[in-house]
Amino acid sequence: MYYKFSSFTQNLTGAVAAAAYNPQGLKPLVSTELPSSIFGTPTKVASESPAAVSYWGKNKVPELQKLFQKSDGVLVHLKQGVPDKLLYRTTMALALGGSIYCLIALYMASQPKNRK
Amino acid sequence: MTHQTHLFHMVNPSPWPIMGAMAAMMLTVGLVLWFHCNLNLILFLGLISTLLIMFQWWRDIVRESTYLGHHTPPVQKGLRYGMILFITSEVFFFLGFFWAFYHSSLAPTPELGGQWPPTGITTLDPFEVPLLNTAVLLASGVTVTWAHHSLMEANRASAIHALILTIILGLYFTALQAMEYYEAPFTIADSSYGSTFFVATGFHGLHVIIGSTFLMTCLYRQTMHHFTSNHHFGFEAAAWYWHFVDVVWLFLYISIYWWGS
Repeated sequence: MYYKFSSFTQNLTGAVAAAAYNPQGLKPLVSTELPSSIFGTPTKVASESPAAVSYWGKNKVPELQKLFQKSDGVLVHLKQGVPDKLLYRTTMALALGGSIYCLIALYMASQPKNRK
Repeated sequence: MTHQTHLFHMVNPSPWPIMGAMAAMMLTVGLVLWFHCNLNLILFLGLISTLLIMFQWWRDIVRESTYLGHHTPPVQKGLRYGMILFITSEVFFFLGFFWAFYHSSLAPTPELGGQWPPTGITTLDPFEVPLLNTAVLLASGVTVTWAHHSLMEANRASAIHALILTIILGLYFTALQAMEYYEAPFTIADSSYGSTFFVATGFHGLHVIIGSTFLMTCLYRQTMHHFTSNHHFGFEAAAWYWHFVDVVWLFLYISIYWWGS
């Protein structure tokens, strides 16, 4: 009889051997030296994962972590470079332009004589 | 290289808060200009800016947590408090509309015919589409819990399937409500019945759309391997919000659809 900790009952419950030998949350790392698979599902690597799931996309988090943790002094909202800068500038232009138009519109709306 | 010797998050200077305030001004002034001067542009620009800022602000939070590791346990605790407080404020928001409904319906004025539902109002049958909507949201509460347990057990496929089901149920609810709105025999202008009905259910529907969007973001993050089995607060916040939306619907159904018919 094998046991696992059930997050639902917060106690030990019966389990299959696979669950007992691979406790929840401690899945062994899949080898990162995957053959380059650019199109869709990655080739299955011989891993000890109990549940052979079909991974929807390669795990890019470690490389993104390296990218964002580069100590180049760039702030987080611009860290990815050109796309970040473009989006930021567009948003700032809209916000500033819109705010100035707001102030002008409010000024005009507060002049009752002009509306005739 | 300097490192902090504490566990709290010293956020990078960010343009989003001040720009968010500017977008809020554009929304409010835009509404005024739309109501009184028939001008749509500022409101439209305000909506676009708000969406852009929300996207970038939350994108930065994902970067700070998943990629930079700033969400230590004390930081996450603060986020939990924050989400609970925000949901509590939303509870009070809905409480106001329920107050308005009970104010009008418990002592109906002579202008309404001294009765509730008011004279001339054909109410919706609570045992038709509204009951289906109740079943849909209750089911979505089950699927989102299934998704959470799958996440905690590092069961990737199950978590994705359950999240997709939850989102489908949320979208189904929205579609059903939209159809009900279109087919309703009364409008928002039909006395206090119409106004209490459409404002309360309308804001609820907006929250369902917001909750569905939050869940869709979680689905995207789950497919991108952002969540781990013991650190997935973004998902928990979405699930809390979703349960809140479900509970509000139950109150709406009992009060307005059932008792009020």
